[in-house]
Amino acid sequence: MPRRNTTRARASVRRRPQRHKDVLHTQGGHRANDFKCAGCLLDVPLDAPGTGHRNHCPNCLLSLHVDARVPGDRAAGCRGRMEAVSMSARPDGEWLLIHQCLTCGELSANRIAGDDNPLALVRLALRPLQGTGTGMARSALLSL
Amino acid sequence: MSTHSTSNNTLGIGTFACAWCGLTVSATAADGRPRNHCPSCLHSRHVTDLVEGGAGECHGRMSPIAIAVLRTGDWMVIHRCVRCDELTSNPVCADDNQLVLMRMAVRPLAQPPFPLEAFGAL
Repeated sequence: MPRRNTTRARASVRRRPQRHKDVLHTQGGHRANDFKCAGCLLDVPLDAPGTGHRNHCPNCLLSLHVDARVPGDRAAGCRGRMEAVSMSARPDGEWLLIHQCLTCGELSANRIAGDDNPLALVRLALRPLQGTGTGMARSALLSL
Repeated sequence: MSTHSTSNNTLGIGTFACAWCGLTVSATAADGRPRNHCPSCLHSRHVTDLVEGGAGECHGRMSPIAIAVLRTGDWMVIHRCVRCDELTSNPVCADDNQLVLMRMAVRPLAQPPFPLEAFGAL
């Protein structure tokens, strides 16, 4: 469901270009082909529309804690599951997924890909607003 | 977040100046828990290192980027260090600026990457 966004198109001209992918997941690399999601066992192809650094399942948004600071460096020794905990937005409106490792608690941010499940993304973005009636959302809404 | 507590401060109340808005904030919240971000603008300072587990030496300013919700319903503020891009999460205090909190929570919905009208039928 693409939507032409003129402000974002203008902002993307000035923005820092995406980090060059110097780690190739091809023959001789880390994996030769698709990867299987650890949560929903979906076979995920490597090339994602809109991003060169796919690190999460487009269906359930689960990721694995394999990279440390640079995408694709495979420097983390944790190998734990990373659960999407929240949605952030860049100043130009681009959505970022915040993952948290269920094993060690490390946080990481990744841009959403073009084929990510829109329902899962919107459910994640709406999670702070679905208050249980006693939480922070209710008191914050009542204060406005 | 450098705590300035003197030796004759018998109450143990320290303060720190916010790195973004300059507000002088007490280092302890009203419920006794240590405070790590400014209640007015929610900015913090990068003083702990999650990987090493001890004190870090970055001391960069950390800006709030997102709201995460725990299973208990409590809100956590996700901070990102503007200097080294490290991410941390901290619990929300009761006296945090709720306008800023709510603005961060609805921030992704202001510019959705796809039209949200399609979800009205669900």
